Amino acid sequence: MSEEQTLELLIGPQHPGSGHMRLVAEMDGDVILNFEPNIGYVHRAVEKIAETKTYVQIIPLVERTSLPDTANHNLGYVLALERLLGIDAPLRAQYLRILLAEINRIHSHLYGMGIHGNMIGSTTMLMWAFGDREPFIELAQRLTGARLSYSYIIPGGVRRDLPQDFRNDALKALSYMERRLKDYDRIFVHNPVTLARLKGVGVINRIDAARIGVVGPNLRASGIAYDVRKIEPYCIYPDLDFEVVVRDEGDAHARLLVRIGEIEQSISMIRQILGKIPDGSILADRYLDLVPSRTRFEKRSSVKFPALFSGLKPSKGEAVSRVEASRGELFHYLVSDGSTHPYRFRIVTPSFKNLIAFKHALLGQKLADIPAVYGSLDYFPPEADR
Amino acid sequence: MNVVEQLLQILLSPTIIIPLIFPGLLTTFLVIIFIAWFERKLTAKVQLRYGPLYVLKSLGGLPQLVADLLKFLFTEIIIPKGSDKKAFILSPIFLFTLSMLPVVAIPLSNSYAAFFSDLSLLLVLALLTITPIFMLLLGWSSNNKFSFIGSLRDGYLMMAYEIPMFVSILAMAVAYDTLDLVQVVGRQSSGLWGIALNPLAAITFFVAMLMTTARFPFDVAEAESELVIGPYTEYSGIIFVLCLGASYAKLSVLSLFFAEVFLGGWNPLIWPLTLNPILPGVAVFVKGLLVMGLCVFMRSIYPRFRIDQVLKLGWHTLFVLSVASVALSLGIVWVLGF
Repeated sequence: MSEEQTLELLIGPQHPGSGHMRLVAEMDGDVILNFEPNIGYVHRAVEKIAETKTYVQIIPLVERTSLPDTANHNLGYVLALERLLGIDAPLRAQYLRILLAEINRIHSHLYGMGIHGNMIGSTTMLMWAFGDREPFIELAQRLTGARLSYSYIIPGGVRRDLPQDFRNDALKALSYMERRLKDYDRIFVHNPVTLARLKGVGVINRIDAARIGVVGPNLRASGIAYDVRKIEPYCIYPDLDFEVVVRDEGDAHARLLVRIGEIEQSISMIRQILGKIPDGSILADRYLDLVPSRTRFEKRSSVKFPALFSGLKPSKGEAVSRVEASRGELFHYLVSDGSTHPYRFRIVTPSFKNLIAFKHALLGQKLADIPAVYGSLDYFPPEADR
Repeated sequence: MNVVEQLLQILLSPTIIIPLIFPGLLTTFLVIIFIAWFERKLTAKVQLRYGPLYVLKSLGGLPQLVADLLKFLFTEIIIPKGSDKKAFILSPIFLFTLSMLPVVAIPLSNSYAAFFSDLSLLLVLALLTITPIFMLLLGWSSNNKFSFIGSLRDGYLMMAYEIPMFVSILAMAVAYDTLDLVQVVGRQSSGLWGIALNPLAAITFFVAMLMTTARFPFDVAEAESELVIGPYTEYSGIIFVLCLGASYAKLSVLSLFFAEVFLGGWNPLIWPLTLNPILPGVAVFVKGLLVMGLCVFMRSIYPRFRIDQVLKLGWHTLFVLSVASVALSLGIVWVLGF
């Protein structure tokens, strides 16, 4: 007679540490023998809904896939759409796009760090990180008028111009963040307990990371310098001076450090953008002529959607775009049949690609490592489920 | 009238008043209200928040816990179908009572204690060692995997803290040459408190105390992101309050104990002032509250360890430290000839 040796632990979806999914862990004592993330609890059929909407209506829809990271999702979709339409945004608009994308990257990474801190028990990190998102959300609000779902990037440009006092406030927020990163370092990043919890936990080595197809900061923490902003630069990234943050350890702590390094890089990028943003229009000339009152637009420096946008009809064809979202490479694929709705729309989100890392990184680890690794992957279930 | 007088005599006798009023149930209740508020307020301060605020705004939300208790009082108590009902209901009650009980053996002045014993130093610790059994029972009777794992972790934790705790107290017993808490405090009247006499033992005991009361970074048994709330997962209503209260009661008892053994008890108050138990009692409580404050402050500094790391810390570091503290005590006795 054989007795049951293992314990099947169903973590979630009603569990404080599971997020919107069910984690099925097969435990032998305190060791994980098998780990199966069971996703799909927040599937909203974004791709199918997109087929019923006009091209401009899809902008707010794609943002909903990942609320902490809306600007990059918005940007990815609009880049694909612009390729389909065959237009380019003016240079100033491209600067503004990347400005928002990098502000978004900072507060998205802070969001991930906060959740990670809370998952291993540091409520201070949670509160600090979420509190310090606020200056950046505020900046984004100044720029776009919304706190999270910006819908700022539109085909051919952006909706609003840089506000008057934006530059000084942005520089203040950046130097504040640099000071706060030092505080984080003391209270959380190099806290002895954090080190004990994260060093050598959930290791994904270089070869495995490439083989299973992890993306974003998680890939770069495994020693592979792959960043779409460098590999296939879009918008104004070729003009910006930044490094791809890479670490070789591949463990949970390395992933945390890569995110912090990226926040530092984003801070330097925003400084560069604010320094050399050119004057000019924020909307492509092709659409500028169609804006109802051109003089009023120039006075208010914001775009009221031209009526044409509601009936935007790209010519028949297909287009793809790749952007580096906060959680990794984001891929948009758009097929047009010449009507006002896309024929097919496909998003491959970074969280979905990172999902497999759970299964890989957690085998043989302890039960208490589940939240430690979960947080370090910065996995966002709604983004993966779409 | 005779009956009333007799009743009053019984009610006012130290054996009743000490466990129930001072420093027993009522005082502990007030201390818990204060320390829970202090914990939340201090953590909020560190984390740039307000903390409790709206329950009596003029007091800064101090009675927040009373409001929470009232809420819990009116919450339905749900007993899961598959649970062992008797054990499920009784074990939190025993857990809380046993966490409170050692207070009877802690003297608040030379003559004020419910239970005088020349072994009171041991008695307090011995009573506290019974609580993990009920913690195990609690987790087992809930018939829930998270409760079960949580209570097992609590059992493992006990193995990590219990021996260093006893050995560090042994070190103090050697240094003071007594097992009676009244005499322990008496030995510190020279001004050389236990924490200065044997800092190793004080550190060991303090860390073991954090483990016993499941404070951060040793919050492994209740680890929220892993085990919901560990052993108490299935509990609701007032019995849930008892479970949570047990750890605070333990913290309060151990802090008083720490104040007596390491922080000089009611010293530097001297003879005429110690006749009435209130003044020395307050002195001990103030010291105890300082210790409690330090314990709860850990929440805002540290994340949570993993269970195997706690065990390692217990056996590799704390145990060695506690043995070293005994050696230190022997050295002190040999040099100073106490």
